[in-house]
Amino acid sequence: MEVNQGLGPIDIALSGLRAQSKQIEVISSNVANARTVDAGKGEPYRRREVAFTTDGEFGGVKVEKILADMSDFMKLMDPGSPLADEDGYVTMPNVNLPVEMMNLNIASRVYQANIAVLKRYQQMVETTLELLR
Amino acid sequence: MSGSNNIIEIIEAGIRAESLRQKAISNNIANLETPGYRRMDVKFEELLAKCLKSGDPGKLSRVIPQIYRPEQTPVKPNGNDVNYETEVGGMIKNSIRHKTLIRLLDRKFKQLELAMGHQ
Repeated sequence: MEVNQGLGPIDIALSGLRAQSKQIEVISSNVANARTVDAGKGEPYRRREVAFTTDGEFGGVKVEKILADMSDFMKLMDPGSPLADEDGYVTMPNVNLPVEMMNLNIASRVYQANIAVLKRYQQMVETTLELLR
Repeated sequence: MSGSNNIIEIIEAGIRAESLRQKAISNNIANLETPGYRRMDVKFEELLAKCLKSGDPGKLSRVIPQIYRPEQTPVKPNGNDVNYETEVGGMIKNSIRHKTLIRLLDRKFKQLELAMGHQ
């Protein structure tokens, strides 16, 4: 295995930060649209999910694409609503708020972990720099 | 004699590049949400490598850092391509390099002082 391949610790930690901030962006879109009945195309908002990939041995993490969650939409019984179908149901987005909050927790923990790596590495470099005094 | 001067000049050129990069990064962060703003970056290491390859060490200290705007960065819907995390990371790397160069310069001056017989 080649040793000097891929990104350095700083760039790897940064790729983690970027990926998690994208993840949080997607989660916030899901939460904001948890009750969006019309997202165009005659459909309610469909939940999005981020797919991460890595390239090479130490390439860091990358957001490959943002996928749509194809699970069924929620049906809400609300016969009084102008949006209800003939059976009295309104089709709601397939966003599940507890799931989003859980994912938000994970994303922010991973973001913090990457910050911890970044800080620790920075400290290590500074101690090396002390040798130059 | 010209050799030791050259080291100081090269370190100086590096420090100039680092200060310019710091300016570019602060400008990028200031324009984090400016619609249509494209981030700027400093080209120095590539120019230095090119100069090293050309085999004329006298020219090394005259390598001038250049500001350019990278075009491959992903652009946000408002036409802006500044990423906060990337800029902060650039700042960390820049400050590590800057510190290293300052320490090297300090070392060099101490060496000169020693040669001059200062206690």
